[in-house]
Amino acid sequence: MAEYSCLIVEDSPMMRQLLVFALARVRNLRVTEADDGVDGLRKLASARYDIIVTDINMPIMDGLKLVKRVRSDPIHKDTPIVIITTEGSQEDRQRALQLGANAYITKPIQAPQVIATVKELLKID
Amino acid sequence: MTNDRKSGPPGSDMPGPDLKSERDQFLKKFTRGAKLTEEFLREVEHLQDRLHNLETENAGLRAKVEADDAIRDLLAKIERLELEKRELLSRFHRAEAKSSEFTARVQEVESEFANLANLFVASNQLHSSLSPRGVTRRIKEVLAQLVGAERYCMYLANSEATELIPIAFEGVAGSALTPVKIADSELGQTLVKGAASVSDGDPTQGTVARPAAIIPLTVDEKTVGVIAIFSTLAQKKRFDTVDFELFKLLGQHAAAALVSASLFAHTDRKLPGLEAFLDLSV
Repeated sequence: MAEYSCLIVEDSPMMRQLLVFALARVRNLRVTEADDGVDGLRKLASARYDIIVTDINMPIMDGLKLVKRVRSDPIHKDTPIVIITTEGSQEDRQRALQLGANAYITKPIQAPQVIATVKELLKID
Repeated sequence: MTNDRKSGPPGSDMPGPDLKSERDQFLKKFTRGAKLTEEFLREVEHLQDRLHNLETENAGLRAKVEADDAIRDLLAKIERLELEKRELLSRFHRAEAKSSEFTARVQEVESEFANLANLFVASNQLHSSLSPRGVTRRIKEVLAQLVGAERYCMYLANSEATELIPIAFEGVAGSALTPVKIADSELGQTLVKGAASVSDGDPTQGTVARPAAIIPLTVDEKTVGVIAIFSTLAQKKRFDTVDFELFKLLGQHAAAALVSASLFAHTDRKLPGLEAFLDLSV
């Protein structure tokens, strides 16, 4: 059975932990955590990931810049990206989708929604 | 002269009248016989035709009987297949019902798991810091990220237990939050009762004066403050079961974590010595 790898980019330890718990329910999915956009890029440079789940609002490098950088990276230019936003930040969401993000999840996040979104993008039954 | 009655006139070879009559009779008989033969032949021909027709009819009937048998066999087979189909359909419906039941159960378990994960993460985060600021930040994070609170404030009672003092807030101007009298306020009543108060209305429409939810904070069974959620994020239209569990968890752990962190800060972040634990055995 194929194994998938996921990179979570989130500055809040609580949200990271919650995402890790949720994605642990997806079989054969290996999860790596990054604290912010810069840490995320560092991890993307050292390994190949099948999917990226990133928050939009982060210090140092936010999710929008990360999406832009990932789409210009030849290795990860086609990697599905899921962004996590708040309902109020509709402009950020639109911008992220225009930059190449594939899906979005609004806070407060629900584990079943995260699982369903990741499975759909990875085409896992 | 001898007159033969069978002979004709003398000198003539013509037959006599008797012979003629005999001949005529013979010819009549012969003609009748020929007619009878013809009739007989026609009858034979007719009977042959009739026989042929009967044989054809017989063959047809035999084929029909055979076809009827085949139809009877086919009908019996159809009946058996119908019965088999009904059984299979019944089994399929039973399996389908079982599958739906199983799917619903899986969804229920997944949802329960997600709720437990939320509670575990919240509890874990509340106790993962020993600085009052860190604990406060985590309480706010639980409220914002897990409950979906947009505007909220945490109040602690003053030492005289007469007023609730706002100590941390989000989404509202600090100037809008003033100390609240315990005796004559909804916040104060919740503190006195020690039970959470949740508005029936849409939590997105709550206000500072009419909060969507008020959660009492307890330490060692004593209520020391409240968290007021004034309103929630636009997409958070109602509180779910997990939110009530989070309210309970915040009520029981938030103030305790805050008090522990304050005490730790007051001791200049020194861990208690071993002697502090020696008398704990029960």
